Amino acid sequence: MCADLSRTPRTLLVCDRSSFLDHKNRVSSQVEQLHFIYKVSVLLPECNSASSSLDSVFNSFTSFYLIRKLPIYELLDKDFLQSAVYQGSVHGLSFRTRIDEDNCVALMPNGRLTLSLDKDSFELLGFEGKPSRFNHRSCSRFEVSVDLTDSSMAPGGRGYLRLLTGLKSHLQLQTDFLLSHHPGGGASLQALLSRYDWSEHKPKVSRRCLSNLVCPAPRSCDPHSLLEWLGAVDADVRCENSSSSFLSSFVCPEANTTLGHALSVSVSGLLLPHDVQRLIQELSSLSWSPGCP
Amino acid sequence: MTSVEEAEPSGFQRVVLTNASPYQYLKIRLVLEDERSRLSDVELKSFIIAGLKSLHGEVGAALNFDVLKYDEESLTALLRVYSRGLVKLWSSLTLQGFYQNQACAFRVLQVSRFTGISSLEEPLIYLLFHVTQKKRISHFPHYCHPLP
Repeated sequence: MCADLSRTPRTLLVCDRSSFLDHKNRVSSQVEQLHFIYKVSVLLPECNSASSSLDSVFNSFTSFYLIRKLPIYELLDKDFLQSAVYQGSVHGLSFRTRIDEDNCVALMPNGRLTLSLDKDSFELLGFEGKPSRFNHRSCSRFEVSVDLTDSSMAPGGRGYLRLLTGLKSHLQLQTDFLLSHHPGGGASLQALLSRYDWSEHKPKVSRRCLSNLVCPAPRSCDPHSLLEWLGAVDADVRCENSSSSFLSSFVCPEANTTLGHALSVSVSGLLLPHDVQRLIQELSSLSWSPGCP
Repeated sequence: MTSVEEAEPSGFQRVVLTNASPYQYLKIRLVLEDERSRLSDVELKSFIIAGLKSLHGEVGAALNFDVLKYDEESLTALLRVYSRGLVKLWSSLTLQGFYQNQACAFRVLQVSRFTGISSLEEPLIYLLFHVTQKKRISHFPHYCHPLP
């Protein structure tokens, strides 16, 4: 009983420290693999404001669309597949569907469609899938994952028709859907958007000027503490608590310095890896001096 | 478990930490029968401690947790607890049913290993610029991934 109560989820943390010019620097390749980026936060020490070029990068993140009550079988529409999915220019995610309770849908840029379904929906759909790897004792959630670019899922094929019938007639899965396209791919979505209630959204940029920010020394700070402090700054958590405080004992990790000012900028929405890469390139090419820009 | 690739002359260093997350973070909201009721941050923490005591006894009530952030208007709080205390804290929140004779419920909105809670169970990259002798260095704890 006691062993169960103190059980913790397994975790893996990899912390790299290097110059952007180092050949081992993997930040670009890591970002490229993240298809569903919700938020990017940047902390610029000793800065009051961002340079105009950096500001323009923040303000030029690609817009995304929200489609209300999209029947998921529409993602198998022949024209949509030809003009968007096969070009690798579009990805999307069901909106406000809870991964532990509702049916969720994800469409990757490489054409992979993944459905995370509860047991009843999976049985109704009648398509092959496997139990979710996050199940505990009983199989209560199932994953259906298909590569829409594979020849077996070509329009008119057996696999394609079975999935289409499952989504259209048996399960009739319908969710709000966030859809994003790579630069230049907007036209491919127009036919799909015109059939449903949709709205366009620009990623939200928020800026905060911080003064007298207590900051740990990155070289000597352990990765977990540094990550915790970074998250606390981003979440606007108070870092100065006395040891006798009832509410919180959270303090900035030792050894630390105090920055006169710093700028915290965050962008949130359905963000493209391409836009995050541009941001990283802009940040790494900044000529750096205290006071910025 | 930790493995470290030592710093080379170029300054590259990699640290890999497995199952070493000391804290877990919970974003919670208290829902009260009377929607106009409000609690201060001290009252909220006392209420959670009382819940821990009622379910897990004196030893449970001694479980140390921090209220990192609290919004009195929406009754939403960000809590930090040692990883080994997560199950006890979470279970006591779930089973809290009454606050001062009115029905209540704690909604656990998110649970994460990171303070920057905004999404669950996603690989996470943090980037920090550090100025050292006019060099721009990226120092990022990255690829925090839940293991099955």
